[in-house]
Amino acid sequence: MRISDVIARTVTQRRTLVWCSVAVLALGCIAILVTQLRLDSDVLNILPASFRSVAGLKIYDREFEQTRQLTFALVCAPDDVEKLEEFAPVFADKLRQQSWCTRVLAGSPMQTPDGIRDLQSIAVPLLLNLEPGVFNETISILQPQKIRDRLHRLHQQIEAGSPRPEFELAFDPLGLIGPALKPFAESTAIEEDQPLASSDRTMRVFLAVTNQESISAFACQRLMRQVNAFRANAREGWNGGRLEILVTGRSAYVAEISLSMRYDIVATLLGSVVLVGSIFFIGFRRWLPLLGMGFSLLLSCLVALTLGLLIFRQLSMVSVGFCAILVGLGVDFAILTFGRYQQARIDGQSHRQGIATSVAKLGRAVFFGALTTAVGFLALILSGSMGFSQLGVLIAIGIFFAGLFMCTILFLFVRERQPPLRHDWVFEMVKKYVRWSVERPAPMLIFASALLLLLTVIGLSPVPPLHFEASTRSLEPKNSRASRALQAIMHKMPMRWEPVLAIVQASNPQELHDDWQKIAAHWSELQTAGKIKSFSTPAALCLSPKSMQRNREQLSEIDFQTARQTLDQTLDTEGFSRDAFAPAFTLLDNLQHLVDPNAPLPNWREKLPASSSWWFLVDRYFGQDPLLTTGFVTTNEPVSTYAQRVNLGGDLPVTGIPMTLSGWSYALADLLPWSHRQLLIISALMAIFDVSLLAILYRNLRLWVIQVITLAFAIGAMIASMKLLRIDLNLLNVLSFRLVLAIGVDYGIYVVLVWQKTHEIEHDVAGVVKPVLLAGLTAVSGFGSLVLARNPSLSSLGSACAIGIFWSLVATIFFTLPAMAATEPKSSSKD
Amino acid sequence: MRRILPIILSLISSTILAGPGPLSPAELKTLLARIRENRITQADFQEERFLHLMKKPVVNSGKVWFQPPKKFRREVKGNSPSLTVSDGHQLWIYYPNFKSAERYSLGKRSPLDSVIAAINSALNLEDVENTFAINATKIGNGYELELTPRTPSMKRVFQKLNLRINDNLRAERTEMLQLNGDRIVTSYSNQTRAPLPTSTFEFTPPPGTDVTTPLGR
Repeated sequence: MRISDVIARTVTQRRTLVWCSVAVLALGCIAILVTQLRLDSDVLNILPASFRSVAGLKIYDREFEQTRQLTFALVCAPDDVEKLEEFAPVFADKLRQQSWCTRVLAGSPMQTPDGIRDLQSIAVPLLLNLEPGVFNETISILQPQKIRDRLHRLHQQIEAGSPRPEFELAFDPLGLIGPALKPFAESTAIEEDQPLASSDRTMRVFLAVTNQESISAFACQRLMRQVNAFRANAREGWNGGRLEILVTGRSAYVAEISLSMRYDIVATLLGSVVLVGSIFFIGFRRWLPLLGMGFSLLLSCLVALTLGLLIFRQLSMVSVGFCAILVGLGVDFAILTFGRYQQARIDGQSHRQGIATSVAKLGRAVFFGALTTAVGFLALILSGSMGFSQLGVLIAIGIFFAGLFMCTILFLFVRERQPPLRHDWVFEMVKKYVRWSVERPAPMLIFASALLLLLTVIGLSPVPPLHFEASTRSLEPKNSRASRALQAIMHKMPMRWEPVLAIVQASNPQELHDDWQKIAAHWSELQTAGKIKSFSTPAALCLSPKSMQRNREQLSEIDFQTARQTLDQTLDTEGFSRDAFAPAFTLLDNLQHLVDPNAPLPNWREKLPASSSWWFLVDRYFGQDPLLTTGFVTTNEPVSTYAQRVNLGGDLPVTGIPMTLSGWSYALADLLPWSHRQLLIISALMAIFDVSLLAILYRNLRLWVIQVITLAFAIGAMIASMKLLRIDLNLLNVLSFRLVLAIGVDYGIYVVLVWQKTHEIEHDVAGVVKPVLLAGLTAVSGFGSLVLARNPSLSSLGSACAIGIFWSLVATIFFTLPAMAATEPKSSSKD
Repeated sequence: MRRILPIILSLISSTILAGPGPLSPAELKTLLARIRENRITQADFQEERFLHLMKKPVVNSGKVWFQPPKKFRREVKGNSPSLTVSDGHQLWIYYPNFKSAERYSLGKRSPLDSVIAAINSALNLEDVENTFAINATKIGNGYELELTPRTPSMKRVFQKLNLRINDNLRAERTEMLQLNGDRIVTSYSNQTRAPLPTSTFEFTPPPGTDVTTPLGR
């Protein structure tokens, strides 16, 4: 007995058994999903993990405190700037009181007494950390004559009315703190470009570190719910006009992106189901099979998710979005099999015979259709991205099961006693077209060839160009509030582009110090040569145990008693108040204490108070592991091309020091060749697979050539349409080419296989062209529904696929069919 | 940079007030209008700076020139002479004894700008009612004005500014209390009102002068 007969008999005579099997399968899948489902919400997992720049982004994302930092901005009308200035400390205090907030930076630490005091507190370790030559020169200021000269000069300057000595003495009464902090000030010069108030004073920025335990999407969503509740009440005490409270930062982005993913999945799935369902109903005017199709697709999704979970152990939230694609693809099988079944019923066959005929006639085509599509998606494994790999595997599994279920379970939803359609206007229209194009193929062939050729020429010509957008914006949700906040801040504040990150990890403090000294020296040369604009490193904060020990030994040669006496006498002579110089005496005591070789070497980490605003700066450089650090390089212009990335990759590293260069812009530029490879090589590989499969399947050179030309026309017209509609390529929608190839080839297979075997051209070919037409329209609708997605990449993937599938459908119906008729003439009437 | 206040404060030299005892808002308004009509452009000054760094006050004397709204020149004589010149965009302080000069850019929203803005508001008395809370009292033949900053930017610079106006409605004494407790008292004499050439408010460092920019911009 043929498989088609077995299926027909089982579905019609053992319905209870089939339903029980379906229930067991569904319950099994649900049980596994409920007990074992773990979602990977890391957006970075969309990018290929093998790239060091991507690995660097992940390290920076997970290991550095900045991950938990939120940026708030208050924006007022120009008339309210004074009120904003008055309200800023009130807002900062409210922010500090929030349970989720651990630290707030509301202004430059240098402008607050606490900030200056904190800076003085780390002077001793940084003084000891100076290079020995510099240290000796600095410490020589404790010689009696130098103490006298300095204080006399400063006194004279005060008498002359200069504000400078007053500031200098208040900050550095002994003259040692300035030189000690000089390397720190120099290496962090890049921070000067980041003020916390806009020049027109209508915007104030506040940085807050949160106490988020986890940085997962759900933790970010929880945090942002609290933050938004705070924002709702944070205007209390403001008596001006409109006050906007903006917030941005990693958590704000992740919360929004993850929420938008959920919206995207629901909206696109619902949109897809509604559109596909409408087309199915228009084509067949049946509700129950439509329900069956939906049920079968849902079951396919469930099985694919379960198997995917068992394979990968956790599923990327991005890959879970495969459902909409699967609906768009799987519906083809339902339309084909049900369409053929309905035709068999119209021809007078029984319910069981109709099922058997449908499976027998189209089972092979469905199998090969599923195979080509599955292989197309499995090629995503080559992308190296965990997110894309999962997406490919889930769709491949899903599409196979969709094919299987559409040939079996779908028929559980078809009523045996339901009479066939009496008047099928879609079928009649298609039949007329098939008859006409088979009898007189030339007009349609010439017209279709000319149009598709023209579009292909436009598609392949360099003008107009097809742009590739590699900016982070292509990954952000549309109308993202976090993105708008960032844009507003960037607009109001001096524009500066994202720096390149250089992540360096050492095995011990001395190695870390030496590495950064070499790097800072090298980058300084690059800056002098004009290869980079500026840089900022943790070099000054990386303590060198060797230098500190050597400098401590030098300290023992200082006569602290004499220095103290000289300072005391000079203060009297010059008329200075001894009380105002108390910190100078304390500093002398601290330094003298260090002469004791048993005293532990000081560490600025222990000296800097936990509440200090300076941690905002320090945390930029150091990960949770103090030996994991990063430096920042501002390039002469934003990094947007692979050539820039290559130059930076060659210039920035120092021989012998392992360094990971990263940053969003840098990583995206690094991924450009990967994206192009995705587009060209993998799509080409897939095309080769497809055409080879077609050659084996058709075993007919002419039909094979026609099919290959059809595919070329479809892709050419797709590129031309994208150019003319100004749809840019991006990291996600490059996938659309292989999708279009996979689906487009299916349409050809359905039509060509029927053409090869049929002796009733008009009846059989129309019987497959109608489902192909409906399948094409549903696929276009399914992918078109992705336009509803908030994620621009997903949205543009949907538009690109919808366009490509549309042209595949057009090329199959208006080129393949007349071309076959022209090259292999068959009579349109019953043979 | 807050220490620049004493220098600039010395410029306060032109104001005239009127009225008996504590002045009503209407009387204050009239008084301010009369002072504005009678602005001086130059005066001699004597200044005492009570600094927490020094045991004794630092005493200076010299001459000051002023042209509303933002230009001024101040020459300190004696053993530690200095010259302070502002053209409204830059502030120069030149020390002949050290052959050095400091240059500060104005209009960059630094605390220095707040100081200049505060002092100019006080000197011009333009819009002073909005910038400061003013208590005015009639004392003998003159007036005592207590100016308390209203805006946060000025509150960061000083706590209080007192002006004593003589019977000619001209400033004869100012006293400024800074946030750190430092106090600057300046007395004015020989106040005159005459047009000044533009060159008064221009400065070019002499050759060989070591020029620094303490605020880095």
